[in-house]
Amino acid sequence: MLKVADIRFSYAEAVLKAFSFDIGSGELLAVLGPNGSGKSTLLKIIAGILSPEGGSVSINDKDVASITRREAARLIGYVAQDSVIRFPLTAMEFVLQGRFAQGRLIGFESDDDIAEAWRAMELTETTPFAARPVMELSGGERQRVMLARALASRPRLLVLDEPVANLDISHQVKMFGLLRTLTSDSAMSAIIVTHELSLASDFATRVLLLKSGELIAFGTAQEVMTESLLRSVFETELLVDANPTSGAPRITLVATRDALRSAEIEDQHG
Amino acid sequence: MSTSATHRAGKQPITRARLTPRKLMTVLSVLLALLLVFSALAIASGSEHYSLTTIVRIITSEIANKTSDVSSEQRMIILNIRLPRLMMAIVVGAAFSVAGAAYQALLRNPLADPGILGISTGSALGAIASIVFAESFPLSRPLAAFLGAAITTAVVYLLGQSRQGASSERLVLAGMIVNAFLSSMVIYLVTVASGLRQRSVFSWLIGDLSGEPRLLPIVALLVFIGIAIIYANARSLNLLMTGEEEALALGVEVERVKRVVYLAASLITGAAVAASGVIGFVGLIIPHGMRLATGSDNRLVVPGSMLAGSAFLLLADTLARTVVAPSEIHIGVITALVGAPVFVYLLRRTS
Repeated sequence: MLKVADIRFSYAEAVLKAFSFDIGSGELLAVLGPNGSGKSTLLKIIAGILSPEGGSVSINDKDVASITRREAARLIGYVAQDSVIRFPLTAMEFVLQGRFAQGRLIGFESDDDIAEAWRAMELTETTPFAARPVMELSGGERQRVMLARALASRPRLLVLDEPVANLDISHQVKMFGLLRTLTSDSAMSAIIVTHELSLASDFATRVLLLKSGELIAFGTAQEVMTESLLRSVFETELLVDANPTSGAPRITLVATRDALRSAEIEDQHG
Repeated sequence: MSTSATHRAGKQPITRARLTPRKLMTVLSVLLALLLVFSALAIASGSEHYSLTTIVRIITSEIANKTSDVSSEQRMIILNIRLPRLMMAIVVGAAFSVAGAAYQALLRNPLADPGILGISTGSALGAIASIVFAESFPLSRPLAAFLGAAITTAVVYLLGQSRQGASSERLVLAGMIVNAFLSSMVIYLVTVASGLRQRSVFSWLIGDLSGEPRLLPIVALLVFIGIAIIYANARSLNLLMTGEEEALALGVEVERVKRVVYLAASLITGAAVAASGVIGFVGLIIPHGMRLATGSDNRLVVPGSMLAGSAFLLLADTLARTVVAPSEIHIGVITALVGAPVFVYLLRRTS
């Protein structure tokens, strides 16, 4: 479904070093890696916002670079980390922007556009504040409205940059659950950049580990989320065991800052 | 699409949450009515006050090409002085307001105005240079003003380019630098201008609608073309307001829209300054007020600002002509006196 081949990019600090991977329909791919590893750059290239220096991105065998912006927008829904909005537009107007690539360039949205926007808002539970200005919503509410805007065009691929960063734990689980449902129910796939390792492990069908622009590992959570790989990618002490309910890898961070304390713990266990 | 979803979509909360054709027509009708009332007021008042019936008789007899019993002096004042000036106020008010709305959306800055990128200073510099150096050449001032706007537009755009295309931040920075440079050139020219010319120079800096009625048709045409181009991009501008990367991902040809809207907004700014000099605050407060009153959708903000800007400038000009009649206050003084407090109010309300 999505095929990323030999992708290369370098601009200022953002670097991607020639790698390839592909995912099928209905998959949920979690992209993990430390800050500055190139996760957002990878997402922007897949969404067609940045052009790669080499290699190609294709969706359903269509090269994203060879189609128009409007065609690309109908295939791919992009959800940015956060939207800085300085104008008083309502949540409904914001979600309707997701229909831009379907509608006319001039004139008003059709009944279809409105119905699709409303459906996306029902899915993300954002209908109660449809008439409120986006700039007055809380960070979590705004993140769900941003997802609704991307869903309004019924894309084949959803690309999300840290969509749970501003959410409380219950909405984090809901967001991952919704993405899993959306991808398994329809012919949609999703790529999500996140720092929530355990949630990614529970919900993602595939995991991609990125460090300094290099693809370190790509596979199922069981294959990729091992102690040694995660330790070397994130350069921090952590433990991996099985989640007692799902059986997926569960990541526990171990505080290493205080050398004395960790030494004490070792003594007790020893 | 399921009929139930379509049906539900027609209900109240969804209608309130977005711009509907009905809301657009209602707001525009109200503004048009306001513009007509202010037009009647503007044409009736001045050092001589005329009744509406006299004005209607003069205008209808002129259209029907018949003679009327109204004195030729009255005809002259209405047709040759007040009517052209009224039209000029309408055109210039529309131009500054729509240019302001366009720059605000383009630069994602609700407080941008037609002066922010230095285009109006460039235009004024052109006009002032022609007053100082080439006063006898006919129509040299508006021509030089327009040339000044065109050159400034090109320079700011080129300076604003980066590897990734013209970023809004770079454009604003380039505009600020060019504006500062041009402002000191203006001050230099004002300093060296002789006494008689200084008054004429002054008019360009504070705004004056009594200028060249001969320019009206061409300025009106340019402003109309510019506004039409901006309106045609209103939906793309809506998306651009929430961020360039997101607009790109949603299917907007961001670079093309930015270039076209930037050129169109600069065109109407240049045309308006060539006709009337720099009139401040209109381009800032009118679109800003429109958004606060009716929402941010540019499909309403653009035509709404056009009508509201015309009405506002017409009212300001009527005040400028009548408050100290038979003398006149510069219109820029009125717009600033009204505009600054209104702006402070808007600012406090939004923050």
